[in-house]
Amino acid sequence: MIEVKDNTRQWQDGTSKNITFIVTKDCQLACKYCYLVGKNTKERMTWDVAKNAIDYILTNENEYREDSVVWDFIGGEPFLEIDLIDKICDYLKTEMYRRNHHWFNSYRFSFSTNGINYHEDKVQQFIKKNHNHLSIGITIDGTELKHDLNRVYKHSEKGSYKDVVRNIPLWLEQFPGAATKVTISSPDIPYIKESVLHLYDLGIKEVNINCVFEDVWKEGDDALFEEQLTELADAIIDMDLYCDHVCSFYAEFIGKPMDIERDNQNWCGAGKMLAVDAAGNFYPCTRFAQYSLRSKPAWIIGNIHDGIDQNKLRPFLMLDRTTQSTLECIDCEVASGCAWCQGENYDAADTHTIYQRATAICKMHKARVRANNYYWNKLFRKLEMEDQQEEFERQKAKVKGTIC
Amino acid sequence: MLTHLIILLDDTSTSYCHYEVTKAERRLIGIDDLKVGIRFAMKENLNVQFVFPDYKLPVEYLKAIDSIDHAKVMPSTCCDEADVVVLGGWDDEVLQGSTCIIRTNHDGLANHLSVVREWLNTINRLNVVLTDVETFKDDDVDSYRNTLESLTGMIVECYKSGKFIQLNLLTDRLRLTGMNNCNAGMSNITLAPNGCFYLCPAYYYENEADSVGDLKVGLVIRNQQLLRLDHAPLCRQCDAYQCKRCIWQNLHLTLDANTPSHQQCVVAHLERNASRSLLAKLKDNAITLHGGYEIEEIDYLDPFNNMNKWK
Amino acid sequence: MEIRKIVGQVTPEERDEIQNLFERKNGLIELAKILTADNGELYEKLVKDMGDTGVKFQQWWDEKAKKYSWESHPKGNWEINFKTCEITLIANM
Repeated sequence: MIEVKDNTRQWQDGTSKNITFIVTKDCQLACKYCYLVGKNTKERMTWDVAKNAIDYILTNENEYREDSVVWDFIGGEPFLEIDLIDKICDYLKTEMYRRNHHWFNSYRFSFSTNGINYHEDKVQQFIKKNHNHLSIGITIDGTELKHDLNRVYKHSEKGSYKDVVRNIPLWLEQFPGAATKVTISSPDIPYIKESVLHLYDLGIKEVNINCVFEDVWKEGDDALFEEQLTELADAIIDMDLYCDHVCSFYAEFIGKPMDIERDNQNWCGAGKMLAVDAAGNFYPCTRFAQYSLRSKPAWIIGNIHDGIDQNKLRPFLMLDRTTQSTLECIDCEVASGCAWCQGENYDAADTHTIYQRATAICKMHKARVRANNYYWNKLFRKLEMEDQQEEFERQKAKVKGTIC
Repeated sequence: MLTHLIILLDDTSTSYCHYEVTKAERRLIGIDDLKVGIRFAMKENLNVQFVFPDYKLPVEYLKAIDSIDHAKVMPSTCCDEADVVVLGGWDDEVLQGSTCIIRTNHDGLANHLSVVREWLNTINRLNVVLTDVETFKDDDVDSYRNTLESLTGMIVECYKSGKFIQLNLLTDRLRLTGMNNCNAGMSNITLAPNGCFYLCPAYYYENEADSVGDLKVGLVIRNQQLLRLDHAPLCRQCDAYQCKRCIWQNLHLTLDANTPSHQQCVVAHLERNASRSLLAKLKDNAITLHGGYEIEEIDYLDPFNNMNKWK
Repeated sequence: MEIRKIVGQVTPEERDEIQNLFERKNGLIELAKILTADNGELYEKLVKDMGDTGVKFQQWWDEKAKKYSWESHPKGNWEINFKTCEITLIANM
């Protein structure tokens, strides 16, 4: 039976409410591509702020009608605040139950960690206590060389690869099928292929990898990027890795024109999520907190005392694809899959608006489209030659759940 | 397309719109800047609207002003030859056939309807500018609706007696078939006393650094497309055509110039619905308006809440 | 030796029922790690809820097994794939 692994289905089809606690702005690392320009050791969320935020959210159940919730914890490095996180999660579970809140039947606790203190006792105890409701992603950027290019300790500038990779087996044992998130900036491009294959070798079968949205790209980066992705495509297909490994660079839906009416929804979930920081301020996404912004003021939509000012969410909820895009983007023949970050759009915009799409990633997207086309053409041809095409289509339909 | 240039002659020039004049010291625009501004208007084929302070200007200024066809917006305390008079308060006397502006909060309007009645019987047009839209609450809906109903009655009486008074809140919508917004930054631009351009006077008083060019460099309006109706997802499908779609209030309340707040939409829809009621009452009194269109009945005051139907 | 065999498929609505019960059951189990008798009424509610949910959970399997007549094995159990709605028989030979 042919199976081609895909990662298109998120928990609850991505319809859950995402609520993020910015528990700390401290981190052991100072990653060179990190968009968090304002990291510091001082701003740590207190229990009082967290409790007030939770009480506000759970009390206003009518404002949050999504069936499910993902309680997300970020930093900095969230596991630096494991005591607080443990207390928050215990309170969330108890309160959701006590209030008969509909989210008690469908919630997750989510973490994106640098993995450095994953093995520590307190973190492990937390994992055991909440295992069935956890989603933990460890960021490992690929080979030691590539990882240590960017992911360095803040004082010594020493690479962190060794301290992360030693925790990968434990992580995969506890969360089989877990995915890692890999970020690509200009200096990383030559190492993409070997890094993805290296991550596969470590046992990580799902690699979510994307280019930064900031304007960091140099002349020639797109050609090199395309070359790397094409070589990676060859490796994945020739070694039959597509059966049980995923690399998010390759997806069938990417690189098609988009209809101006039918395909007009906004890509990004900013405004539908909620983030709260140490000061108790609410944001439409963490990317709108001041520590994430280099050139704009924070977009605060409320706080734990006064609640949410719905007016400040209106621009997000009205946002669509075409209103924020240039004509070039609207007419682009390979538009689908070209992503953006609403926070970066805001930060890079010429005025105080979220309606100006940043397009620094344009050439990189087009390079990706060409490599993606190559991947699927090669894969389909292989499946056809092996008489597996029909089975692949049948499995694809099943996985997407259209029949069941 | 730019069609109008608004020139604030002094830092203390009267406000004719939602913004407050936050500068207390007189500062006249430089005479050279005034002349260059007028020249700019001539070359760009713009209609000029001068906004006056409450004192008589020097002769050379009056001479420069007279060198171009223009409209004068003047405070009631100093309004010789005014085209539009900005009334200072409810005690002001009005001239027969004039066009006036009254800036008031909605309680003030409700409490001075008798004054409004007198004015409507005297002047040609009254623009009511509500100064407290930003703090308008859902609790205020009923009271504002009642106020508009009273005003509707007054207009019907005027029309019945053959006086076709214009009241921006109610009669504009009767004849509109499309948006009639302020269009600051699109069809009009403001030249401030410091010689810089602004989207409108409100931006000048809020933050002088927020200019969109000056007389040397010219106009530099970034993201101008976001001031257009087609780039306002909520407004482009709305039919409260009389709404001014104030981008400055938008920015204050929602943080984005192309998105109105809940209270702006509610106020605009209360007025729109009152216009609908006015139209029906005029018809009941056998008064037909030429060029008018039907206004549909709707069951919402904020199109944002109706999003699922049209998005 | 473990054998795995797809023996049937439920409807999406039936899948939603068991998934809901599964999530609730997990939530109750994890809550039980932090609540004790000292929590008074809340603890009592939890204990009762765990019992009730467990019963409903088993009832679902019993009902569907009867409805669909899935193949079974004395050393096996059924497993549902929430993505595909498929029922897999897993047995240790």
